[in-house]
This record gives sequence, C-alpha cells and structure tokens, in this order.
Amino acid sequence: MISITDLRKNFQSGDRAVAALQGIDLEVSKGEFFVLLGPSGSGKTTLLRSVAGLEKPDAGEISLNGKVMFSSSRRIAEPPEARGIGMVFQSYAIWPHLTVAENVGLVLTHGRFRLAKGEVQARIRHALSLVQLDDFESRPARLLSGGQQQRVALARALAVNPALLLMDEPLSNLDARLREEVRTNIKKLTNQLGITVLYVTHDQVEAMVLADRIAVMAQGEILQIGNPYELYRVPASSLVAEFFGSINWLHGKMLDSERVETEIGTLVIQVARQYEGNVVMGVRPEDVKLVHASADVENRFSGDVLATTFLGDQATSEVKIKNKILLAKTLPDDAKPVGAVLVHLPKEKIVVFPETVAEEHLV
Amino acid sequence: MKGRWLFVSIAAVGLVPVVAFLLIVFWMGFWQGSPGDPVVYTLKHYRELFTDGSTYRTLLNTLGFASTTVLVSLFFAVPTAWLVERTDLPGKNLIFALVTIGALVPTFFTSMGWVFLLHPRIGVINKFLMEWFGLAQAPFNIASLLGMGWVEGLGLSSIAFIMIVATYRTMDPALEEAARVHGLGILRTLRYVTLPLTFPGIIAASIYIFTIGLSAFEVPAIIGMSNKIFTFSTFIFYKIQPQEELPSYGMAGAVSSILVVLALLLSWGYFRTLRFSHRYAVVTGKGYRPRLVELGKRGWLLAWLFLGGYFVVAKLLPFLLLVWASLLRFFQPPSWAALEQVSLRNFYGLPWNLLFQGAWNTVILMIAVPTLTLILCLAISWTVLRSGLKWRVTFDAVAFLPHAVPHLILAIAAVFASLFLLRDVVSLYGSLTILILVYTLSRISFATRIINNSLAQIHPELEEAAFVGGLRLLQVMRKILLPLLKPALVYAWLWMALLCFRELTMASVLVTSQGNVTLPMIVWGLWLGGSLNQAAAANLVVLGFMLPAVILYLYFGRRTRFTEAG
Repeated sequence: MISITDLRKNFQSGDRAVAALQGIDLEVSKGEFFVLLGPSGSGKTTLLRSVAGLEKPDAGEISLNGKVMFSSSRRIAEPPEARGIGMVFQSYAIWPHLTVAENVGLVLTHGRFRLAKGEVQARIRHALSLVQLDDFESRPARLLSGGQQQRVALARALAVNPALLLMDEPLSNLDARLREEVRTNIKKLTNQLGITVLYVTHDQVEAMVLADRIAVMAQGEILQIGNPYELYRVPASSLVAEFFGSINWLHGKMLDSERVETEIGTLVIQVARQYEGNVVMGVRPEDVKLVHASADVENRFSGDVLATTFLGDQATSEVKIKNKILLAKTLPDDAKPVGAVLVHLPKEKIVVFPETVAEEHLV
Repeated sequence: MKGRWLFVSIAAVGLVPVVAFLLIVFWMGFWQGSPGDPVVYTLKHYRELFTDGSTYRTLLNTLGFASTTVLVSLFFAVPTAWLVERTDLPGKNLIFALVTIGALVPTFFTSMGWVFLLHPRIGVINKFLMEWFGLAQAPFNIASLLGMGWVEGLGLSSIAFIMIVATYRTMDPALEEAARVHGLGILRTLRYVTLPLTFPGIIAASIYIFTIGLSAFEVPAIIGMSNKIFTFSTFIFYKIQPQEELPSYGMAGAVSSILVVLALLLSWGYFRTLRFSHRYAVVTGKGYRPRLVELGKRGWLLAWLFLGGYFVVAKLLPFLLLVWASLLRFFQPPSWAALEQVSLRNFYGLPWNLLFQGAWNTVILMIAVPTLTLILCLAISWTVLRSGLKWRVTFDAVAFLPHAVPHLILAIAAVFASLFLLRDVVSLYGSLTILILVYTLSRISFATRIINNSLAQIHPELEEAAFVGGLRLLQVMRKILLPLLKPALVYAWLWMALLCFRELTMASVLVTSQGNVTLPMIVWGLWLGGSLNQAAAANLVVLGFMLPAVILYLYFGRRTRFTEAG
C-alpha cells in the first residue's frame, strides 16, 4: 500500500541544516494500522506530511497503491490533491466559516474526487453517522467542542472513501478520558472499513493500543519496526527499550558467553548473540521478582526494600542491592513495605546491548 | 499597592487632554467670534454647512479619494502578502525590509515626485506620451481624485500589507492543507478556503485604510489644494488659514465634529470586523511552516516583475524625479539639452539658517516626543492591564481616541485652546512645546497598543513573585517590567522618533513662527511659494538628515518586527 525508499529531507534552521529524515525505508501493507512513534523532532510528522504531499522531500521515493507519488530521481511530485488520501490534522483544521455538513461536503462537491450531485447528501449523512454526528449537519463548525470537531475531521477524511487515512496526533488535544473513548472508536471504525492507516503519535500507550505495527523513530531515523509485543520484549536498542515504559539498567563486563560481572554481582544471561567487553542489561520492573525463598539460585540477590507505593491494582517498590536501586512492580499483596528481601531476575527476561557512549548514562 | 496612584495619575495626565481636545472641537462648532470678543453661541455654522453645495462636493471628493486609496493599496498589498506568506518566492526578508522602509518615506515627498511625473502641464510621463503619440492633451492628471488616491494608496500600501500579512499569520495553515489533501487544487483552495477566511481581515484593513484616507492631509494639501480640489482635511485647514478672509474656527469646528463622528463610527466598524476575523484565528502551537505554493521559475519571474514594478512605482520613480528636479532651475523632462542646465544651484540657494533651525527643532521633537509618550503609555498600559482599577476600561477606550480622531483636528483643538482658553495662563501658541504636546498625544494610541501587546505576554506572577519578595511597585517596574519590555520600548521609541521627520499634518497648523519650524514645514513652505525645484532640493536635504536615524532604527529595531503601524 505504502512503499517508501530512502526518503531524505533537511530543514534549514537559521544557518544550519537539520536532518528531519535520514534515509527512511518503509513498507505498509493494505488494511494495516501503522503507527509512527517518536519524541518531538524525531521526523515522524515530516514523514507523514511527505506521504500527504504537504512536504517535499529532498530525495527518495514514495508510492501509494503501486503509483509513484514522489520520486526525486524521476522528478515526480504529485500534489496533495492527486494522492487520494484522507487526513486528520492535529488542530483538526475544521473550516470555521462552514457548517458541519459543508465541511464534509466541500471535498465531495469541489474536490478532485467529487461525486455526482445526487450522491453528495447521502455520502455526507453516511460519513457523519460513522462518527455519530447525525444531528449536527447544519451546526456552524466553529461552535463545536474539541471532541466534536475531531469527529467532523474524521468524517471529512473518510467521506472521500480514501484507501489511505493519515492521522497526525489526532488525540493530543483531547482530555484524558475522551482520548481513551475516541481511541477505541478509531480502532473499531478503521477495522470495520478495512482502511490502511498511517498514524503519528508520541504516546506509546496510544501506539500500543492502536497499532498492528509500530515504527519507532528518533532523529530522522527508524530505530525499529515491529508489533507492540516485539518492541516491548525484544527491543533492538536501548533507545527503543527506554521509550516503551520504564526499565532498570545494569552495567557490566562479560566474564564468558553467559555470565556478566555487574554492580550487584554476577548475572547469568540468555541471549542468542555473543557479546564481549562492556554491556548494559535491562530488566523491566514487572520482571524484578521479590521472593521469600527459592530453589532457583541463579540470579538471586539479597536486597533491602527502601519504600513501597501502593497503586491499587499493583505496587512498586524501590529495592536496594549493594549500591544499586532497582524498581520492582508486583501484585499489591506480594509487596513488602520495607526490610530485607530476596530478588530474582529471570535470565530470559533480561535484554542485553553492547555498551557504547550512548548507553553509559543509563540507570 | 503602594505607588499605584502615581501610575494612575500619570496615565490620567496623558488622557485628560485627549478628552478635553475632543470636547473643545465639538464646542468650537457652536462658537463665533475672535480672540478677546465676548463668546456668542450659534447654530449658524451647521446651517451653512448643510445648505452650502460645496460641502457636498467636498464630501463626495473625500469619499472618492478615500475609496481610491483603499483600492490602490489593496491592489498592491494583497498579492504581496500572499506571495510572502504562502509561496516559495525567495528574498522575502528583502521584501519586508523594503516595505518597512517604504512606510517611513514621507508622503509629502512622494506627492511632490508624482506631481513632477503626472502633472498635466509639467509631468514627465505626460510630456513623453504626448510627444510619442502626438496627443493634444495630457493623458493623465495627478491633480484629480483618482490621481491623489493613487499617491495616497501607494503610501498606505505598506500598512495594508502589514495588516494582511497578520491575518495570514493568525490563520492555521492546516485549514488550507486540509483542502489540498482532500482533493481541492490550488485555485479552488484559494477560492473556497483562503479567501473566505482572510476576507474579514481584508475588510478590516480596508476600513482602517479608508479611515486614514478620510482625514489624510498631505496629499490633498500638496496636490489638491493648489488646484482647488478640497477634501475634508484641506477644507478644515482652509477655514483656519484662509488666504483672504478671517479664520473661522467655528466653521472648522463644525466640519471637524462631523469628521470625528464619522471616524469614530468607522473605528467601531473596524473593531467589529476585526473581532469577526479573530474568530477564525487558530493558534496551533505547531512550529511547522505551511506548505508553500511552488511558483516555479516563471512564477518567480512574474512575482518579481510585480514586486519590482511596485517598488519602482511607489518609491523609486518619485525619488528619481525629485533628484532630477532638485538639479534644475526650471523643471523640464530629462533630455540632453536639459542635462546642460544641471547644477547644484538649488542647494546653494536653500534657506540654510532656517533648515538648521528646523533640524534642531526636529531633533528636540525626536527625543522629547517618544520619551514622553512612552512614560505616559507605560502608566496607561499598567493601569489598563495591571491596576485592577474599576475604570481601567475607560482608560483603554480613551487611549484609543487619538487613533480615531484625525490628527489635524487634534492640532486645531490645541491651537484653539492656546489662543482662546490658555492665553492668559501659558503662552503655547507658536512654541515648540505645543508641538511636543500634540505630537505626544497623537502617538498615545500607537504606543499603548505596542506596550499592551507586550505586557499582556508577561505573566503577572513574575511581578507578584517580586512583590512577595518585598519589592515595591516602582522597583518592580524598574527591575522586572522595564527589562522585559525593553525590546518593545526600543522599537516603539525609534519608530515614533522617525515619524517626527514625516509629520506635516499637525505641523501645518501648529507651526506659526521660525521658533517652532520643522523640516517638513520648510519643504512645504517652499512648495506653496511656488519654488518647486527648491522644494525638491530641500526634500533631499531632509532625507539626508533622516538617514542616520533610519540606520539606527534598522540596526536596533530589526529584532522586533512591527505588527501594526500607527
């Protein structure tokens, strides 16, 4: 559906060039819900806007449905209106001088993909009913609430029956409760329509709820592409691991192929790859097991619970082992408020990366 | 808050005269007599006004002139603003710089240039066209409503440009992008989204320009008056300084009252439309630049032809003609024969003593007026935004009056007050002090708006933190507010200083002696006396005096680009 090869784009900021996209390769298949996830300045919005034709990349190629939309080598740059897409903007971009129905109708009556006169009304109704705004047709758009504007924007984007729907942080301007509700609706609706979605967000929870696959981006590059489980469990780099939820880092030196000397003692790891020299190891807080006694002697350390916070359905404890403090997440009844405890770190749950300059600061 | 009443009092000192002058104008219209006579009240002036045919002719002239002004300024400003804000045209900073400097070029300067270009008898373009095509009559006449509106419109196109750029800036570019993405081409997006959304902004700018045109003085005074084409402003001026009869302050007061009411109504309309256009403004908070329309090489060429033509016509041609005229004893179109006559005689013959006196007075004005205005306006802004005073809205409304009330009328009220009311108290008539006072009052709206905008962006907690820490109000002003407001203050100071060089309207009635003569008045005096070529030379000397100040402005003011001109 979407095929992107070696896409590059530099921005001129003052007198220096900032690389927004540094050679992006991406394939999104038909019907897939694909999320671009990254912090601000990672290039995710630039990538989305390039697909829309709102940004002109410096080099590379973009094709949609097999049709080349942009190619620097072949000097092709189709304008946005020729790409046949629907798009929801972060600010919603609802035209304030029109009514709700006119907002949806303008693209149907004057756009490149306009309908015959008789069909327009029915299509407007259908699009508005998809987002449950049936009775709002004649309402001036600027009088709508943020959540309603968001739905009009979605209706407008879906009205042209696009094969591809682009969404640029569509939930970031909604309050927390509404966001959850709209998130679920978007997922249901796009599933039901079988539409391909390219979705930009900086919120990892949002990404995990919505996505079939996620591309994690930073500084104009894609760090890893995968489904939510893979990204969480098998991150390709410490950066990706950091980005998805919290994680404890340990620094150490390889003793042999599976034993590492660390600040809390000798740790056994289980990895497919051979490492040498200095490494960093990550353990998610929910994998830090607090035990009373265990037959398993591997990766077992004695520590001290410094403080425990109860959060209702779970508890987090700060556990000190030698001079290192680890965060442990447990079921509330398993937690111990303070005092001595045994800590078990299951070897299959430990991720390992070679230590470079970038990893030195991790804690 | 200790010290609060000090600020409120200073604000009142600036605003009370504004109200007083306005009342004086209305009062003048019912008043008859000369200084020293017993006061007689009458409705005679209004009766005469409404029964005299020349009133209606003047009204039609003024409306025609102001409408032409609006059309001409929009014709240049709207495309220029669109090119700068929404296309990939290179050299946008240059365009901004040229337009800003363009707003500083005195209107009397370009007016004289255009007389040399398009006057039916001596205009260069007319003469060339008549010669080439064998015409019996001059094809153009600058001394007409269209001609005057053309010159005024070119002058005001800078302000129109800046206002329309602002409406583009406050519009969320995603509104246009949404149209493009969903299938509307460039032209349909312009037609169905961009234009309807910028329309209120363009209407607001039109009303603003129309209001200025309604009371504009310099162009009608330099081009119209000698050809007996009067607009309201020159009509009023003529009543105050007639050539044969006695001055009729009563008549001037009546006409001024009508003009003030008209201007206030228009300003009300302006704010209504502006509020309407702000409903469409969306602050996105997203830093991305809007998708720029790609013009292509041919588009760039056309755009630069348009912009180049605009700058040549609006500024360069009048300037070149003034230079040429200043080098000749009698004006004639450029030719080899005329070239032999070129000399610096006009410059030697200028009244240099007077010019230096004028330059000295202008320097005093340049320093005194902005400084005084800023002190008053800081107090006004603080009262409006920070004092918590019940009456602060009134302060805000009064501070706006000098913008709506034509400056010529402010000056006439001041002259009237100095002659009839304050004669035995202080002698202001013909002094430099009266110039300083009236110029200052006339700038209150502009400076208050600049400081208001800046102060509104400073969170009150910054000051509250200092109060909690034990600082007193004056210390907070000195240590917190002044440093934070500094860029805006520096910019406003420089801009107001430069405006002193181009101020002819108020000077035309306030300058009555050698003691308070200003540079523009000397130029105008030469022009009225018929020494057109000497006036051209004097004009260039004035520009020469102005140049160092402009360089200072560009150097210090470049960081704070101005959003609204006063």
